[in-house]
Amino acid sequence: MNLFSSILSKKTQTTKTLLKKHVNRWLSRRVPSNFRHKLSNRNIFIMPTRFGFAYLLFDILLFLLGTNYQNNIILLLSYLLASLFITVMMHSFYNFSQLIFSSSAKQFTFAKQLAYFPINIHVDKARFDLNFHFVEQGSLLHTITLERCGSGESKVLLPFLANHRGVFNVGRVKVFSEYSLGLFITWTMLDFSHQLVVFPQQKKFNSNHHYLTGLDEQGTNISQQTSLGVDDFDELKNYVAGESPARIAWKQLARGQGKLSKHYQNQQGSLLWLKLTDMPSSDIETKLSFLCFLILEYSSRELEFGLLLDLASHNLQTVKIMPNCGYQHQQNCLITLAELKFNVVG
Amino acid sequence: MISKTRINHHKKSGKFNLTYRNTWLLWCCQIINIASLSLAISSWMLAILALCLCWQALLINVKFNNKEKTLFSPILLTTFALSGCVAIAITASSLGVLLSMVHLLAFAYSLKAFEIKQRKDFYQLILLGLFLLASSLIFKQSLVFSIFIILALILNLVSLQQVFSPNKSLWASTKTVTLLLLQSSLLAIVLFVIFPRLSPFWQVPNAKSAQTGLSDEVSPGDIANLALSSDLAFRVDFKGSKIPRYSQLYWRAMTLEQYDGRKWFRTKTNKKNNLSKQPFKPLITGESIDYDVIVEPNYQFWLFGLTVATTTDPSLVLKQDYTIQSRNVLSQISHYKLKSYLQAPLEPIISDESKQRNLTINLGSNPRLEKLALTLKQKFPNPVDRSKAVLTFFREEQYFYTLKPPLLINNSLDQFFFDTKAGFCVHYASTYAYLMRAAGIPARVVTGYLGGEYNASSVPNSSQLTPQGGHLSVYQYDAHAWAEIWLAGIGWQRVDPTAAVDPQRVESGWSNALLAQQSLLNNDFVGLYQLKNIAWLNALRLQLDALDYQWTRWVLGYSNQQQYDLLTRWFGNNMPWKTGAIVLLSLIIMMILITLIYRINFKKLRRKKVSPWLQYYQQTLEKLTKKGLIKPMNMTPSCFAQQVALKFPKLSKDFFELTKNFECLSYQNLSISEQEILLVRLHNNYLKIKSNLD
Repeated sequence: MNLFSSILSKKTQTTKTLLKKHVNRWLSRRVPSNFRHKLSNRNIFIMPTRFGFAYLLFDILLFLLGTNYQNNIILLLSYLLASLFITVMMHSFYNFSQLIFSSSAKQFTFAKQLAYFPINIHVDKARFDLNFHFVEQGSLLHTITLERCGSGESKVLLPFLANHRGVFNVGRVKVFSEYSLGLFITWTMLDFSHQLVVFPQQKKFNSNHHYLTGLDEQGTNISQQTSLGVDDFDELKNYVAGESPARIAWKQLARGQGKLSKHYQNQQGSLLWLKLTDMPSSDIETKLSFLCFLILEYSSRELEFGLLLDLASHNLQTVKIMPNCGYQHQQNCLITLAELKFNVVG
Repeated sequence: MISKTRINHHKKSGKFNLTYRNTWLLWCCQIINIASLSLAISSWMLAILALCLCWQALLINVKFNNKEKTLFSPILLTTFALSGCVAIAITASSLGVLLSMVHLLAFAYSLKAFEIKQRKDFYQLILLGLFLLASSLIFKQSLVFSIFIILALILNLVSLQQVFSPNKSLWASTKTVTLLLLQSSLLAIVLFVIFPRLSPFWQVPNAKSAQTGLSDEVSPGDIANLALSSDLAFRVDFKGSKIPRYSQLYWRAMTLEQYDGRKWFRTKTNKKNNLSKQPFKPLITGESIDYDVIVEPNYQFWLFGLTVATTTDPSLVLKQDYTIQSRNVLSQISHYKLKSYLQAPLEPIISDESKQRNLTINLGSNPRLEKLALTLKQKFPNPVDRSKAVLTFFREEQYFYTLKPPLLINNSLDQFFFDTKAGFCVHYASTYAYLMRAAGIPARVVTGYLGGEYNASSVPNSSQLTPQGGHLSVYQYDAHAWAEIWLAGIGWQRVDPTAAVDPQRVESGWSNALLAQQSLLNNDFVGLYQLKNIAWLNALRLQLDALDYQWTRWVLGYSNQQQYDLLTRWFGNNMPWKTGAIVLLSLIIMMILITLIYRINFKKLRRKKVSPWLQYYQQTLEKLTKKGLIKPMNMTPSCFAQQVALKFPKLSKDFFELTKNFECLSYQNLSISEQEILLVRLHNNYLKIKSNLD
C-alpha cells in the first residue's frame, strides 16, 4: 500500500513538473521577457476567485428562491447580482489593462537576505489593490500591496529572499488584483529578466579562530588598540609569494616546517591576502562565508587586501585578485565569490 | 510621485484584519440587514439580535482602543448560540417553517460576525447578509421597501469593496458601487423582461401570516377596527374607460346569510354539492365595464368586484352569491381581470331553501326590534315601503355614524337601535337586515369595500371631475358593510342604511370629522386627516401612490402571461433561440458600454488640466517611450534632453529646442501673444521629432 502510494505521489509529481514545464514554455511565448510590459488582453489573465464561485452559487440560490416564491423582486435582484458579476469582471480587467511596468535592475545581496527590485509603474488613471510577488517565492510572504496607485509614476520595491549563493535569474513577477469586489482575480506573470547576484552568507569566526581576522572579539582592529610602533610578533602563516623576505621565519624554515612568514600585530601598510585554504572549515561553502565576512570587515576598515582562491581540489583554476581597497574592489571580490560554481561530486 | 508601499506580510497567511472604519460599516450593515426583516422576526429574537450587536460594538471598541481586558469569551458565545437555537426550536411549531428559517438565518448572521478571523469568514458574512436582504423581500415588496433594499445592497457592497481599497473614502466607494450597479442594471432589466418565468420547482413553506382585511364573520364592532388601518387593500385600473360614480363603487367581498344573534357569517356549503354543480353563470344585461384588480396579499381567498362581476380567468371561481374566490390563498400580490354589469339583476328567482335561510332570526333575541317589525309589516304592506320606512327612521332620528361606538351587551341590536343610537356601518346594516327579516323580507349582510381613492397622478391632463385613466386605490378604511333585500321580480337589491345616516360616506367618502376621529384613535402624529388637509403633502402622497401602483403593475405583477404577450408583440413567435440571442446581445452591449466609459474617461483625463504645451511634450515623451527611452519622473527636462541627445543624436537639435520652448512656456509668465509664438515653434519641433521617429 505504501509502495503504491509512493509510486502514485511520484507520478503526480512528475506530471506536475511536466505540466509546469509546459505552462512555462507557453508563458514565455505569450509573455516574453522584456524590461517594459504594457498590460493588455494579451498578458492579462482573469478568473473568478473562490468567493466568485460562491457568489454565483448564492445567486443561483436566490434565483431558486425567487422562482419558488414566484417573487419578481427577488428574481430581479438575482438578475441584478448576476449581471453585476459580469460588470465586475469588466472592471477587474480595466483596473489592470493599460498598466505599464518597467524594471531592469541587477541586484546584489547576501544569502539569506532580502534583495529589493524596484519596479516602476506608469498609469493613466488611479488603480487599486495591486499585489506583487515573485513567482518563485510563493505568495505567502514577500507580497507587496499597493492599495492605491495614483495616476503618473509609482515605484515599488519588491523583495526577494536569496536562499543560496550564486547568480540567478529570479524569474517572473506575478502581479495580481482582486479589485473591485473580490469576485475575480486578475493577474499577469511578467518576466523582467531580473538578475540577482547572491554573495555567500557572512559567517563570523569563533573566538579561537579569531587570530585569522586580525581583529579582536569586539570587531575592532587589534592593531589600533595596541600602542602604535610596537610590532609585536603574533603568528606564523604560510608564506605567500610577494611577501617581504624579511618576514620569512627562517628558524622554522631551518627546522623543515616549511616556508612561513612572521606576522605582527601591526600590519598596517603591509599587504594582506585572504586565502580560501586558510579558512577553518572543511566545507567549501562555509569557507566562502568566512571569506565574505573578512572581505567586508577589511573593506570597512579600509585595509588593503587581496583574494586568493586555490581551487585545485575542485578542478578549477585558481582565482587571484590583486590587493587593493575601496568599494569597487570589495564588490569585485564578492562577485567573484558569488560566481564560483562547483561541480557537485557524486 | 512615489507611492507609499506597505509590505503586507499577513495578507494571505491567515490573519485578516478589517480597518476600523470598515468594522463599523459592517456593523451598520448588520443593523440594516436585520432591520429589513424586523417585520418577520418576533420581538424576543429582535431583542437577542440587539444584544448581539451591542456586544459586538463593545468588542470593536475594545479591540481598536488597545485595551487590555477582553470581553470575548468563546464559552459564553457558545452558550448564547445554543440557547438561541433551542429557543428557535421550541417556538418553531408556532412560527412555521419559513419564519423559523428566517429566525435561524438572522441569528446565524449575527453570531458569524463575532468570528471574522479569515477572509473567507468575511465573505460568508457578506453573502449571508445579502441573503437576509433578499429573504426580506418575501414579506414585503412595495416600491419604497425595494428602494430601501437596493440602498442596503449598496452599503453591503461598499463594505466589501473597502477590503480591496481601504484608503478610498466611503463616498468614493459608494459612487463606484452605484456605478457598478447602474452598469449592471441594463442586463438585469433585459433578463427580467425576457428570461422565461419558470414555475416553482418545489413546494415552499409560506409565512403563517395573519389574515388581513375582512373576515368571514362580522359582529357590529369589527369593521370599525379595520377602518383604523390605512393599509392598501387593492387597486383597480379601469383601463382609461369612465369610472363609475363613487356611490356605485360597492366592492363585494362576502355575502353573510347566517345570523346567530351575535354575528353574521357565511353559509358553509357542502363541498360535494359544489363539485357536482356546473360553474355559476350569472344573468347579464346592460352595459359592461372592464377593469383590472391588483390585490395586496391578505392570506385569504376572497376577491373584490363590482356586482355583477364575470371573468374568464380559470384561476377564479364565481360563487352563487355573486362573490369571487381565488383558488389559491392570496399570499402575494395578484392581478386579475373582471367584467362587471352594474345594471344586471341578482338572482331574480331564489330557492325556497335560500329564502328560508334569509328569513331566519332567533326569535326573542331582540324583542323590541321584532315588535317594531311587526308594526311595520302591518303598516306597510308593500315591502319597498317597509324598507323605506326603516331608512327614514335612521335618517330622521338622532343616529350617529362613529368609529368608536359604545359597547353593546351581547351585541344586542335592540340596545343599539333604541338606546345608544351610535354605530358604524355594521351596526346599521345588521339592524336593518334583522328588521327586514323580522318583517318578512329576505335580507342579508354583504361586506366589502366602498369607493376608493381616485389617483390620476400618473395620467397627464386629467381632472378629478372627469375621472378617466389613472387608478383607484382602495384602503382598509374603505371597508364597508351593507344590506341586500330580496324583492320578488327584482331579485336581490342593495340597500345601504349608512347612506341614510351619513350620506357623505356613500357619496364621496369619509367626512373630515370621521378622519379626525380616526387620527385621534390611532394616536398618529401625522395621520391621514392631516395628510389630506395639507395640499402639497396630499399631492405628494398621491404621487407616491401612483408610482407604487406602476411598480406593482409592471414589476410585481409581471407574470408569465404578460411576458408571453409582450414578447409575442415585440418579436413575433416566441422561440428559445430568440431569447438567447437577445440576452447575448444585451450582454455584448453592456460590455461595449463599459469599455466606452473607460475609454472616454481616459481621454477626458488626458485633456483635462493639461496645458497645450504640456500636451505636446507628453506626446513626444510617449513617442520616445515607444522607442525604449523613458523619462524618469524626477529628471528635469533639460537633463533628459541630454540623454535623448546621447541615444538619438538625430533628434538632439529638435529636442533641445522643444525642451527650451517648453520650459519657457511652463515657467515664465508670458503674455498671450508671446505664448502663441512659442507654441507655434513648439508645434513645429514636435512635428519634426515625430517625422524623425516615425
